[in-house]
Amino acid sequence: MSAMPPSAPPRAAERLLRAAIRDKEWRESVLGDLDEEFALQCHRQGAAAARRWYWRQALGLAARFSVTRMLPPVAPPRRAPSPATEGVGQGRWLGHLVVDAWRAIRHRPASSGAIAVTLGLALAANVAIFTLADALFLRPFRFTGVERLVVVASAPERDPLADRSSVAPGDFEEWAARSTTLADFAAADFWDPNLSENGEPEQLAGFRVSPAFFRLLGTTPLLGRAFVDDEATPGRDRRVVISHGLWVRRFGADPGIIGRLVRLDGEPHEIVGVLGPGPAIPYGAEIWAPLALTSEQWQARDRGFLLVLARLVDDRTLAAARAEMRSIVAQQRQAYPETHLEREVSVVSFARGLGDEGAGPFLALWQGAALLLLLVACANIANLLLARGAGRQHEFAVRLALGASRWHLGALVVLEGAWLAALALGLALPVAAVGVGQMRRGLPPGILRWVPGHEFLRLDATALALGAALATGAALALSALPALQASRAGMADALRQGGRTLVGGGRRRIGTVLAAAQVALTVALVVASALILGAVDGAVNGALGFDKHHVMTATLRLDGPAYQTDESRVRFIDRVMERLEGMPAVESLGATSFLPYSGRSTSRPIYPEGEALTPAQARLADFQRATPGYLSTLRIPVLEGRGLTDDDRASTRPVAVVSRSFAERHWPGQAAIGRRFRTAETEAWVEVVGVAGDVMHDWFMQQRRPTVYRPVAQVPSFSLAFVVRTTRDPMDLAGELRRAIGATDPDLPILELRSMAQVVDDKVSGVSYLAGALAIMGGLALVLALFGVYGLIAYDASQRLQELGVRVALGATRWQIIRLNLRRALVVTGVGLTLGSGLALLLGQLMASTLFGLVTLDGWLIAAMVVTIGVTALTAAYLPARRAAALDPTEALRSS
Amino acid sequence: MPPPSLYLGEFEYAVLLAVLHLGDEAYAVPMRSFIEARTDRTVARGALYTALDRLEAKGCLRSRMGDPTPERGGRARRYFTVTPVGMRALRHAHAALARLSSGLESVLEES
Repeated sequence: MSAMPPSAPPRAAERLLRAAIRDKEWRESVLGDLDEEFALQCHRQGAAAARRWYWRQALGLAARFSVTRMLPPVAPPRRAPSPATEGVGQGRWLGHLVVDAWRAIRHRPASSGAIAVTLGLALAANVAIFTLADALFLRPFRFTGVERLVVVASAPERDPLADRSSVAPGDFEEWAARSTTLADFAAADFWDPNLSENGEPEQLAGFRVSPAFFRLLGTTPLLGRAFVDDEATPGRDRRVVISHGLWVRRFGADPGIIGRLVRLDGEPHEIVGVLGPGPAIPYGAEIWAPLALTSEQWQARDRGFLLVLARLVDDRTLAAARAEMRSIVAQQRQAYPETHLEREVSVVSFARGLGDEGAGPFLALWQGAALLLLLVACANIANLLLARGAGRQHEFAVRLALGASRWHLGALVVLEGAWLAALALGLALPVAAVGVGQMRRGLPPGILRWVPGHEFLRLDATALALGAALATGAALALSALPALQASRAGMADALRQGGRTLVGGGRRRIGTVLAAAQVALTVALVVASALILGAVDGAVNGALGFDKHHVMTATLRLDGPAYQTDESRVRFIDRVMERLEGMPAVESLGATSFLPYSGRSTSRPIYPEGEALTPAQARLADFQRATPGYLSTLRIPVLEGRGLTDDDRASTRPVAVVSRSFAERHWPGQAAIGRRFRTAETEAWVEVVGVAGDVMHDWFMQQRRPTVYRPVAQVPSFSLAFVVRTTRDPMDLAGELRRAIGATDPDLPILELRSMAQVVDDKVSGVSYLAGALAIMGGLALVLALFGVYGLIAYDASQRLQELGVRVALGATRWQIIRLNLRRALVVTGVGLTLGSGLALLLGQLMASTLFGLVTLDGWLIAAMVVTIGVTALTAAYLPARRAAALDPTEALRSS
Repeated sequence: MPPPSLYLGEFEYAVLLAVLHLGDEAYAVPMRSFIEARTDRTVARGALYTALDRLEAKGCLRSRMGDPTPERGGRARRYFTVTPVGMRALRHAHAALARLSSGLESVLEES
């Protein structure tokens, strides 16, 4: 062909072929062949016809290539196969069965649809929740070697909420030197510096780390280098390694960044390395500096603050490392009695140590609920299938009569189950994907740093595999019952009955068990979800100890050389307050070191006057700094004595307001006012001048943490939160608050600007989202169970019409007939409700222990469930019974 | 050593013969028209590719990619040659057919 082809082959068809043909050489030669002939076709019949021709060829080839894949080479058969080998016969037989099963599904669109939707929703719930559990709890960190890494902490092993950043430098040094099961010890300490160049000032999530840190994680910088040992000394530590994300976000991915100086907390730091994209470890860190302690500081053993990571030596197990560390710490308790008397040690996996510690029990609970829902759905479907199966006995009998084997019937039923499960899975995956997307969007950005693994919140191969496995399990379970029926189908009997179906004893028993189980599981699930909803509601709207409404907050950190002195920090607070005070919308205002529900706090050991306590014996209390207006702005009541006043200055005697729980803990049954305590042995005594109401700091613990409020003027903190009460919408004040702070120090980043209600909501949003999901599951299960009970009993009654007719003919009264029907309904619901209530109680207790006493069992709730399900069941039994009783006996006998 | 004689299907037999006939020009396009012309049957394109692939996997054919040409949208042709194994299989099949049909010439051949 010398002429240029007048038209090109259809591109979509080409793309289809390219996708279908895996082998590169085949792809090229086949496409080339088609091109060559396409030109000929154009010449012969015109472009349009040639394009149609090309499409036909492409579709045929794509189908063939995707079936045979061309690749697996066929082993040449030694002999010609015998005319009808069994393999060929069976393949064909199976193919027919698959088609047959599909026809059976399509033949009953209503019940098939109901089954697929029911199962699909239950599967979707399981897949979505598993995705969450997998991302946040099972595998929050996914980089090579993570399974050999551990977190070592000076905290009891069993405490799931233990502070992992708890190791004293002296212990770190000693452990690193002595341990034979762990190597590459690395330490990290929180360091969130303010970055004030290249745009808005911003507080970065960062850590000071020992030089072994990057080696331990197995990360090598993309640009530059990691830290060298000699940088871990004070004076040489003004160096940072930054994350890939920070490099792109704040420095425009500048390739020449190495060696550049940036101001962090006002001090110049040299950027020595940029990491490649990867997990932000630990806790969303974006910037790392060397952990530079003096040799004296390295020997300190009294106070623990380091997060310690290590690697298991090649053939050692976690248990061995745990045992060794325990024995080392046991020896330390003897060697350093004054600091180590009550020292604990725990060695946990990296995922457990750095993951969201609270997530585990919660997610287990939710996964359990999802599985319960799946069970309820399966029980419901099994009942539907049983009802359907009763109608199919005639069909089975005919098939048997025509020569089908029982094997054949069984396989048919199993394949039907497989089709249903496949349909359900097809429905479940998009639903689960939407659910997971919602979950990811539901996470407030403020807490992402503390939720490692959130980046893996999407449906992945593992979740799909789980969905497929559950669907397969469900398919097998669902086909078991009808298969049993099919295998029992008596040919002669069924045919003789002429399609009249019998409700056999076996079928009735199974149905009863299924319905009762459904009722029981539903009661448990609904009660559980109601408990959690109640708990979340309590956390958001319950007794917080403060009034979250109409309060605007701004959180800051006074870092850097400008705020090194106490006076400078007090001056800053005073200036901002002065600016805000005159505004008409401001009702009252104050400042504190940490907001309740913000997830941040500091604690100090308390040494009450008159008690000789060692550091190990002193109990910790939440240590808050507040301005005089803070308590009244949040409406935290002063119960005894006075609040803080403007007269409490640095020059006057040290005073404190303590929370009621603090007073009760240290001076039970006695007056707290006038008592004295201190937070370090070298410190001056602090006098208690007032007792304030307790405040919830955290919905999760729901603890009334003993708290001390010291005047900001006496102990000015670096962390700061302004609270402003207004008569209007608090968000209206956002601009004014920002301006007041910006006017005082334009370089200071505002970390968070939220209303107090928002602070509380953000803290519980993850759980309220999950509680919502659980409520949906509970509601779904309730609807399914009600349908199940109604369906079973109504169906049963309609099957007994004949029998009832006979009874009426023999003189049974209307009420006798109705009672007869009701009895079974009563048995089913009675057994179900009894078991369910027991299960609910158990579950409630389990949850009470998981949720730290957050939930309280509500007797009314269980009673309401019992009534709802009971009424449904009785209605279901009553309606057909009444119809039966009203029947003309002759008609009833003739019917069906 | 490959087995002394490979079993060839009828279509495979035809494909091998076509490759021999076409020599240096043995690629899918002329092969298909050749078989169609000589057997008076339509040959499905996919069937031909499958057979070529299978014969190559059995060791009866060897292929090489030619140079890309503009009328093929810059794509190369895949040329086939018959290997010794293929020749042996062909000879065997041919001889078997010949033995089977010998003595039946009067019935089989049309006048």
